[in-house]
Amino acid sequence: MRTTTSKPEIRSPNPEGGTPPFAGQGPATAGGPHSGAQAVSLIDPRTLMSIRNLELRARVVVEGFWSGLHRSPYHGFSVEFTEYRQYSPDDDPRYLDWRVFARSDRYFIKKFEEETNLRCYVLADRSRSMAYGSTGCTKAEYAATLAATLAYFLYMQGDAVGVLTFDEENRDYLPARHRTGHLRQVMLALEKPALGRGTSLAAPLERIVEMVRRRSLMMLISDFLAPIGRLESDLLALSACGHEVIVFQVLDPAELDLSFQEPAMFEDAESGRTLFIDPRSARKEYQRKLEAHCQSLRTACQRLGIACERLTTDRPLELALFGFLRQRMQHKRGPRRMARSKVGL
Amino acid sequence: MSFLTPVFLLGGLAVALPVLFHLIRRTTRRRTPFSSLMFLTASPPRLTQRSRLEHILLLLLRCAVVCLLALAFARPFFRKAVPDTSVSAARRVVVLVDTSASMRRANLWTAAREQAQSIVRRAAPTDQVAVFTFDRQVNPVVSFEQWTAAGPGRRVALVNGKLAALSPGWSATHLGQALIQAAETLADAGGKQALGPGQIVLISDLQEGSRLEPLQGYEWPKNVRVSVQPLKSRPGSNAALQLVSESEEAAPQAGAAIRVRVTNAADSRRDQFRVGWAQPDGRGFAGTPTEVYVPPGQSRVVPLALPQAAGSQGARPSGDAQAAGPARYTGPERILLQGDDEDFDNTVFVVPPETQRLSVLYCGSGSEKDPAQPLYFLRRAFQETRRQAVQVVIRQPGADAGRNPALPALSAADLESPTLFVVTDPLPEALAGALRSQVAAGKTALFVLRSGAPANTLATMLGLQRLAVEEASLKDYAILGEIEFRHPLFAPFADPRFNDFSRIHFWKHRRLDAGSIPSARPLAKFDSGDAALIEVPVGRGRVLILTSGWQPEDSQFALSTKFVPLLYAMLEQSGAPAPLPTQHHVGDIIPITPAGLGDKSGAVVFAPDGSRFELPAGEASFSRTVTPGIYTLASAGAARRFAVNLDAAESRTAPLPADELERLGVPLAPQETAVAREAQLKVRLQDAELEDRQRLWRLCLIAALGVLLAETWVAARITV
Repeated sequence: MRTTTSKPEIRSPNPEGGTPPFAGQGPATAGGPHSGAQAVSLIDPRTLMSIRNLELRARVVVEGFWSGLHRSPYHGFSVEFTEYRQYSPDDDPRYLDWRVFARSDRYFIKKFEEETNLRCYVLADRSRSMAYGSTGCTKAEYAATLAATLAYFLYMQGDAVGVLTFDEENRDYLPARHRTGHLRQVMLALEKPALGRGTSLAAPLERIVEMVRRRSLMMLISDFLAPIGRLESDLLALSACGHEVIVFQVLDPAELDLSFQEPAMFEDAESGRTLFIDPRSARKEYQRKLEAHCQSLRTACQRLGIACERLTTDRPLELALFGFLRQRMQHKRGPRRMARSKVGL
Repeated sequence: MSFLTPVFLLGGLAVALPVLFHLIRRTTRRRTPFSSLMFLTASPPRLTQRSRLEHILLLLLRCAVVCLLALAFARPFFRKAVPDTSVSAARRVVVLVDTSASMRRANLWTAAREQAQSIVRRAAPTDQVAVFTFDRQVNPVVSFEQWTAAGPGRRVALVNGKLAALSPGWSATHLGQALIQAAETLADAGGKQALGPGQIVLISDLQEGSRLEPLQGYEWPKNVRVSVQPLKSRPGSNAALQLVSESEEAAPQAGAAIRVRVTNAADSRRDQFRVGWAQPDGRGFAGTPTEVYVPPGQSRVVPLALPQAAGSQGARPSGDAQAAGPARYTGPERILLQGDDEDFDNTVFVVPPETQRLSVLYCGSGSEKDPAQPLYFLRRAFQETRRQAVQVVIRQPGADAGRNPALPALSAADLESPTLFVVTDPLPEALAGALRSQVAAGKTALFVLRSGAPANTLATMLGLQRLAVEEASLKDYAILGEIEFRHPLFAPFADPRFNDFSRIHFWKHRRLDAGSIPSARPLAKFDSGDAALIEVPVGRGRVLILTSGWQPEDSQFALSTKFVPLLYAMLEQSGAPAPLPTQHHVGDIIPITPAGLGDKSGAVVFAPDGSRFELPAGEASFSRTVTPGIYTLASAGAARRFAVNLDAAESRTAPLPADELERLGVPLAPQETAVAREAQLKVRLQDAELEDRQRLWRLCLIAALGVLLAETWVAARITV
């Protein structure tokens, strides 16, 4: 009997998303009673950022999230042999089936249930526009925490996690691994400050397409405050390789509604350009343009069957994690059909 | 507060710039970092009431900086009353006002009066001022004593009143003498008390005709300066008219004419003039004038015929014993020039010279054509001139044998009119007595002793019983050894150039004892001591005895250069007055000749303006020739007319060269403009010194820096 490690199923009372069933509602898990679910208090991101260690910060979010669900997020590496596959150079030799080798004089790998776990890549934008923040927490910190949280969560799930940071060009790259010390490497890469003078979404996507051949989960975290002319084609290339893509757009509340009162010389974080802006007279137009930009991003993602989640830095990260898990559930149900149909077109 | 460079105060206008920038300022210095400006466009400038009120202090501070900088560059200083270190002593000023004829030109006298009044008004209360006018001589108008006595409140009125009564005359400009006299006046006044420097203020047109000769070599007193206030006449054309004087000794010309010179000024713009005899009132021409073309800077002589030929009143043919009186001219006496702009020198008064007709009676024999006879030389000695016509009347005395029947016999009537009697032959007793009467009346008789024959006649003439005349025996010849040069007869020969009589040789002469004749005075003696010429007064006349004949047989006297002048001197001595000039200039002193020796009657002069001057007896001259015109001098029943005209130098109206006075050593005071400039420079230097001591610009700069720091601080606080 094959025992598979199953993922917790999250059922939201609002099938369209929304507030996760925290605080007493408790999730309905397969095979598991849910009773006496402990209420999860959402951590204010500003308070969360006071935890300086990124890994600890991620753990706080994840464990806080699961503690509300009465489930341990940790699962051992349950080995359940399912089938053989031929050995390839990047496979772990520990899993070579020597009996099969003795019999056939060929190398085969035991394919365990865990091998069906995801290869996840976190693509994090480290440009200077991400260093902006008006809530006490910059977008870069928020995105890093989000990336760290997802990486931690997936790593604890037994998934291999890799990271690629970028600004106007690719910076740090770690292939997806699940081994001791790898998560630490991922955290270190995510902790680096956002100093990039520009944002190029094409560069990381091209690199990922080149480097990662196996199907993986790509989590693209950026503010997307850059021209997205090529983004759709780059995302399409990514999807066409069989990768699952989730897009997280991280914005600051001040960026959404231009919540300034006094005219001032606004300085672009990346280019250094300054403009005299009177917020009161520029707000309406700015919001229209921003909304149009975000809509075009969403539209592009929708066409490709890519989940697009917009997050603001004043939103607790637990909700982001919930949104992520919900997306995963939705993806298992039907996003592939949309992608395939899109690719077919 | 004063400023050394006030032009920099214009920089204070830059205070408008902060106000302007403040009003239109649209940008804030506050910077707000933002993630991306890709959805933002620059906002237009916006002014709010709120922002103006907030920055008013900043605006004031910036304006204060601009103002302080402008003030600093303008170099402010506080002018203090600088004590005048120079001790200003009281000045002594002589104002010399020109009243010569050239000042009669348009507007000159008015300008001169105003200048003088202005100088008097500007005089300080401690100054001493005297006002003189000058032309040919200096005339005090207000003396220093009168000035001091008048008091500060009445001085100006005193001078103004005196000047108002004055006007330019007709005299010439004796500028040199006037300056010297003014300088002497100042020097004398300065010696009396401690006074400041002396100044002569000369107000004149400084025309070229001014006489400056006395200034040559004059040593100016110290501390006396001359300040020249030249007067400029209005530009115009001036031509002058002068009478061309003819030599009185020249022979009379046929067709008598008067010559005038028309001189056109160098700056004249006209060259066509009209000259002619004028109406008696001088307002127009009597007859057709003569057109004259005279280019500027040149002159032309124009002959004008006398409208009425000069004729003698009651003239008689030549040879008549009754000599005629002086010929009288009765035609126009004024020549007029027209065509220029100034008429003060356009009239010339003319009294044509009257030819004085005299007669000399020769009582003797002989032919006037015989060069061996005295008559021959006598006839030729008296030549007719413009001024004098001497007629030699020849009469033969006595009906002696050898008498020339062609010559009329001498009668008593012949003795009445001649002025001089020349007797060479004996006269009848009666005629001798008649002659003596004539001589006693004031005439002169010259006895020429060709021989001893006229001794009796001579004795009768002298009132002697008998007069011994004998022939002198000479070895070769005699010469004149002693001559009484102090006697009027020989006075003209007193000059060393003319006093050599030793070349006249006398082959023969008569010896006459002058001592035996009462009151006889030898005027000349031969080298032997014998008298050559003896004068014996008879009544009011005289008898002259020449002890030698002048014909060549007796001597070389008639052939010498002394003969004719001596005869004319005898003629003059005989009561014929020397021809007096009829043309004079304004200011000339006219001599008055008595009718004869012992004449005690006075004279009366009638001036052209109708005034009359009674001259006392014995008055030898008349000096009141102040107006051009025809004067009449009446004395001893006779009237003499003479013309007085403007000095020709007054028509030279071009201004003197600027340095002419200085060249003659006149110490000139600097011009008022130069003085004013110097005073301004002094004030400027004082201001610069004051400003350098006070250095207020530093305080202004420090204040500006302080305000600037405050502005910076306030601006930073506003932008934070």
